[in-house]
Parts: sequence; structure tokens; C-alpha cells
Amino acid sequence: MHIDRLERYWIIAVGVVFGAFAAAIVASVVVFGVHLPSPVGRIDPAKLAESEFAKPGLTQDSEHAYTLRMVAKMWRFDIGSKEPQPTIKLPAGSRLKIVATSLDVTHGIYVERHDVNVMLLPGQISQVEVLFSKPGIYHIICHEYCGPGHQAMIATIEVS
Amino acid sequence: MQQTKPYISTPELTFPKVGFLSAEQWIVGSHVLTGLVALLIGIFLGPFQVFRRAPALKWEIPVFSYYYQALTVHGVLNALFFTTFFIVGFSYFILMRSLKREMWSTKLVWIAYALMLIGLLLVLYALITNQANVLYTFYPSLIAHPAFYLGLVLLVVGTWIVTANLFLTYNLWRKENPQEHLPLAVFATLTNFVLWCVASLGVAIEVLFMLLPLSLGLITHTDPQAGRALFWFFGHPLVYFWLLPAYTSWYTMLPKQANSKIFSDPLARVSFILLMIFSIPVGVHHMFTDPGVSAVMKGIQTVFTFIVAVPSLLTAFNVGAMLERAGRNRGAKTPFDWMWKQDWKNPVIAAQISAMLLFITGGVTGIMNASLTLNIALHNTSWIPAHFHQTLGGAVTLTFMGICYWLIPMIRGRGLYSVKMALWQVHTWSIGMMIFGYTYGAAGLIGVPRRTDLGAAPYINPEAVPYLNMSIISGVLLLISAILFFINMAGTMLLSKKQLTEEAPIDTYVESKSPLWMEKWGLWLSIVGILCVIAWAPVFLEVVDFTHGFQIPGYSPNGGLYKP
Repeated sequence: MHIDRLERYWIIAVGVVFGAFAAAIVASVVVFGVHLPSPVGRIDPAKLAESEFAKPGLTQDSEHAYTLRMVAKMWRFDIGSKEPQPTIKLPAGSRLKIVATSLDVTHGIYVERHDVNVMLLPGQISQVEVLFSKPGIYHIICHEYCGPGHQAMIATIEVS
Repeated sequence: MQQTKPYISTPELTFPKVGFLSAEQWIVGSHVLTGLVALLIGIFLGPFQVFRRAPALKWEIPVFSYYYQALTVHGVLNALFFTTFFIVGFSYFILMRSLKREMWSTKLVWIAYALMLIGLLLVLYALITNQANVLYTFYPSLIAHPAFYLGLVLLVVGTWIVTANLFLTYNLWRKENPQEHLPLAVFATLTNFVLWCVASLGVAIEVLFMLLPLSLGLITHTDPQAGRALFWFFGHPLVYFWLLPAYTSWYTMLPKQANSKIFSDPLARVSFILLMIFSIPVGVHHMFTDPGVSAVMKGIQTVFTFIVAVPSLLTAFNVGAMLERAGRNRGAKTPFDWMWKQDWKNPVIAAQISAMLLFITGGVTGIMNASLTLNIALHNTSWIPAHFHQTLGGAVTLTFMGICYWLIPMIRGRGLYSVKMALWQVHTWSIGMMIFGYTYGAAGLIGVPRRTDLGAAPYINPEAVPYLNMSIISGVLLLISAILFFINMAGTMLLSKKQLTEEAPIDTYVESKSPLWMEKWGLWLSIVGILCVIAWAPVFLEVVDFTHGFQIPGYSPNGGLYKP
């Protein structure tokens, strides 16, 4: 099969570019420590009351480390308070572990300005860790359609 | 000794150069026009979502009851029904014209059409009555009315019959012409239906064994993570099913329309083979942020996704070189002036070149989406609709519109109603999509979510507000463009008195000696099978809960538990 000289150069260039892209991805994981959500376990949403999600909310693990247990449901993030759009407060420099699941349908969380982007599925536990180094107000936004109240599914993280 | 011609030798049909045989007219016309009717409903809801999401307007959606219903109708009708009907009609046309024969069975053509049409009506019923607001990805555990799933099943079964018909037609031709070179357009069409059939197995299993039974009340529980895996087994090859007919037009029809010649026929075939094979093991890049799929499998499918980008870059070179030749024929002298020395006054050509330009940003953003860790910044933000409105909304739809500008006149047997209107339509569409891509892409990077009724949201990031307001311009341009397109289509069908002058851009003449091994469909399917085992089997083992089975009840998209 005949391949034109210029086309051969083009194919080589394409190969080099994708090699560079792949190297960049490897670097993002190994050097910069960006991690994708990975399986941590399953949970039956009918039995949340008997699990770590029985009392969702913020707990302090050590001086700068916190854990937020959260249950997404139609159409709010349950972190232990009754407000429709709850707020949690953290000091700057805190490392937050978010452990979350869904009670009913597919939800998701996106935290503004931080590397938090994960789906919340009923039956699955999602876990991500994030460092809040700068003070500010950052919203947790539900980013998967979950019914007519989806757009109001928001929580706030106040870092002071 | 004279070799006897084997099997039933059907006489070659003599197709008119200008215009259609009546059989062609009915088969191609009914499919393409049904697709356009679906598009007519779906397309107008697009701009109104932009208006609804812009803080400066926050308009209510007209006619339909609210944002998510309109969003579902927009996605389902444009992306699932318009594309499928159009592609099926276009594929029939390619096979009949290129192989100079009728379809293997005309009866099967109509059976498949009837199934797909009933499917469309059932889905429309469920959507219009507000019982299927589940978006076009219909993730469980949101459960729609059974008519929605039944309609989708009929659509898919219809396309399986279409595939059988296409392959049986090709088989007959091959038996009668064992040594002849298969026209590239037919080869491309066949690869497209192979990848479609493999892909649709995923969604067929999901709908038939999970969603439809739950919707009917036969089972009570489901598993969203398994549902997502089955859906994305189908969902990514699906975008190639839309794209390959556009490539087919660029490779095999645009050369004739632009008075040029294909640059490399064999490499075009290699591209189609690669697309057919590597579009399958890549769907996990839609699930990079899913909790139930391991990082290893996400990494493996990233590699395959990069591989499937290669044939598209080969296409860029091949089609680019063909266009350079066209530009040189029109007097281009310097290294780059061939780009604008094209026949921009011909809407068929202008539409396809504009589609390619949109596909540059579409392709680059696609590679970004597939880049494992980078995806965290992009997933489910408005960046994603920005991306696929450059690819599906841009490259594919604008190419299909360009095809309509010669195909609809042939179906009607009259000239295009207004060339000027068509040119305005093409340019408003491509500028509109560029502005949409820019504004929604930028808003997405700031963190505006996709598929969200921002008009009713208690919070929108203030930094994103200017972009969302700027997107109104794209909505206006695209609305104008859609109106121009449908006036032109209706005008051509009903009002045009012009004589048809353009020939069908099908080149049956095959210059290259493309090797016969490229038609080893069994071999390609085996490779797809092996890749599925490598890339998908571990994913399904991860996502299916073998000890507990399904544990999640269904929920109504209007709130509360689903009641059959």
C-alpha cells in the first residue's frame, strides 16, 4: 500500500503528539498527584441508617484534616442540617475528605476551583480528598440531572 | 474458457444522472424527511435552552412545560432520531447508487422503516405527556414510561434489519463481482453499520433487561453503575455512527462537488477500519469520575481513545490535501491561499468546509475530555455541550445540512429553493456554533454545570454570567439559521419551480487497487471481540454486584418512587 511522503511525516507527527499527551497524563498522576475517583465500596441505600452515613456531617480527624459524610438525595445534599442549601465552615489549609453516596438517583458533585468532580450513584460510595489552601466561598454543585429540583442542589464551603 | 456468472444475476439499474428513480425517491425520501421532521421539533428547543440559562433573560421554555422536558426532547429527537433516520436513508442511497442495484429486499426496507417510525411515535408520546424526562442518556434509577423504552427498542431493532439488508445487498454484489473493487462510500457505510451493531448490543441489554422490565413493573430494582457502563459501551461508538457518514461525504462526494480528487483511497479505508475497531473500547472516558470503575481501566481506555483519534487526524490530512487540490484548480498559488480559494458560493461545499472547521475545535476539545486527569476539570460542566455542539451540532449536522442541499432537490426533482438563503444558513450556523462553543466552554471551565435549569437556580457563579449572557447571540444566530434551513427545505419540496441541474455526487469509478483483505469482516469483528475482552470485560466485572444483584429501586423523573 502506497503512503505519500508528506502523509508519512504527518502520521509520525501525530504519533509524537499523542506520545507527549500520554506523558503529560502520566506526569499529572505521578508528579502532580491528581487522582481520579476509584472504587471504595458498595452500600445498600436502604441500609444507610446502619452505616457510616447514619449521621452525615463534618468531623475533625486531626488538626488540619476533616471528613465530610454526605448523602445526596432528591434534591439536596444532606450533611446533617435541615437547610435546603447547607454550609460548612473550614479553616484555610484544611484537608477535606469527602465520603458520599446517593439515596435515590444519580447525582454528582463539583467543587468550584478545586479538583473535585465525582459522580454519586446509589449503591456506590464515592470518596475524594481535597486541600483548601485559600480562604473563600466555594460551592458544591450537583452536576448530574436528578429531576425537577436538580438546579437547587447546592451546598457551600466557607474557608476562612 | 469463459467463466460462468454465478447466482442470480440482476440486471444493472440505469440510474438517471440528474434526479432519482421512483424507488430511490420513496426509500431515501421517506427516511430523510422523517429525520428532518424529528430535527424540526428538536432543533428549535436548542436556542430556548440558551435563553433560559442566560441570567439576562431566564425565559420560560415555550410550548413544552419546562426546561428538562425540552432538554430531553432536544437530545432524543436530534441525537437519536434525526441522525438515525437520516443516516439510514443516506446509506440506502449510497448502496443503491454505488453498486447500481436495488436493495436486497425492498419489503425489509419498509418493515424497518415502520418499526423505526412507530418507535419515534411511542417516544414522542412518552415525552410530550411528561412521562419521560430522563434526558437522552436515560440513566437508571430514573425510570420513564414504558413507551419511551419500547420506542427506543423499535428504533434499534429497525437499524439491525437495515444492517442485514445492507450486508445482504453487498453480499449479492460481491458474489456477482468477486474481483471488483468496492466503492469507498459503500465500504465506509458497511464499517459504520458494523460498529453500530456491535455498539447497540450494550444499550439493547440495558433497555431490555434493566429499564423496560422495571418500567413495566416486572422487576423492582436496578443498578445505576451497571446501567452507565452498558450505556457508554454504546454511547461513544454512537458518536462515530453519526460522524462516519459525514466523513463518507467528505471523502467520496466532496471531491466530485469541489472538482477535485481523493488524495489517498487506501488510507481512507484504513481510517474507516480503525474507526470501526477502536470506537468500541473507549466508552469509559465518559465515566472517569464514576466511583465504581477502577483507575486502571480508566487509564487503559484513555490509551484506546487516543488511538481512535488517529484515523480522524489521517482524515484531516487526506481531506485537506483533496481540498488543496481543489483550491489549486481554482488558481491558488501560495502555501495557504487554497483554503479560501474554494467555491464558497456553493452551499453544499461551504457547509462541508465550515463543518470541518468546527470539527477542529470539536476534535481538540474531545482529546482534552479523554485525557484522564484533565477530565476532572471538565466532566459534566457546560464545557461538554460546548464540545459536542462543535462535533455533533457542528461537523455532523452542518455536513448533513450540506447533503440536504443536494439530496432534497433530487428527492423532489426540483432545484434548491434558494441558494442565497442556504449560504446565509451555513454561515449563521457556523458562527453561532463557534460562539456557543466559546461561551459555554468558558462558562464550563468556571464551573457552570451542564443539564441544569439555571433560570431557576439559586446560585450561578458571577464570573460565568457574562459568558452565559454572551451565549444569547449564539442562540439568536442558530435560531435564524434553523428557520432559514427549514424554509429552504419546505420551499424545495413545495414551491421550487427551478430545474434540477446537479448530478448525484456518487463516484462509482474506483481508481485505487484497494486490497480485498480490507473486506474481511469476520477478522475485524474478532479483533473487536478481543478488544472488548481487554477493555470492557474487567469493567463489567467491577460494576456488576454478583453477590447482591440489583438493589436500587426506580424513581420517577418527576420525584418520588417510580410506580409502573
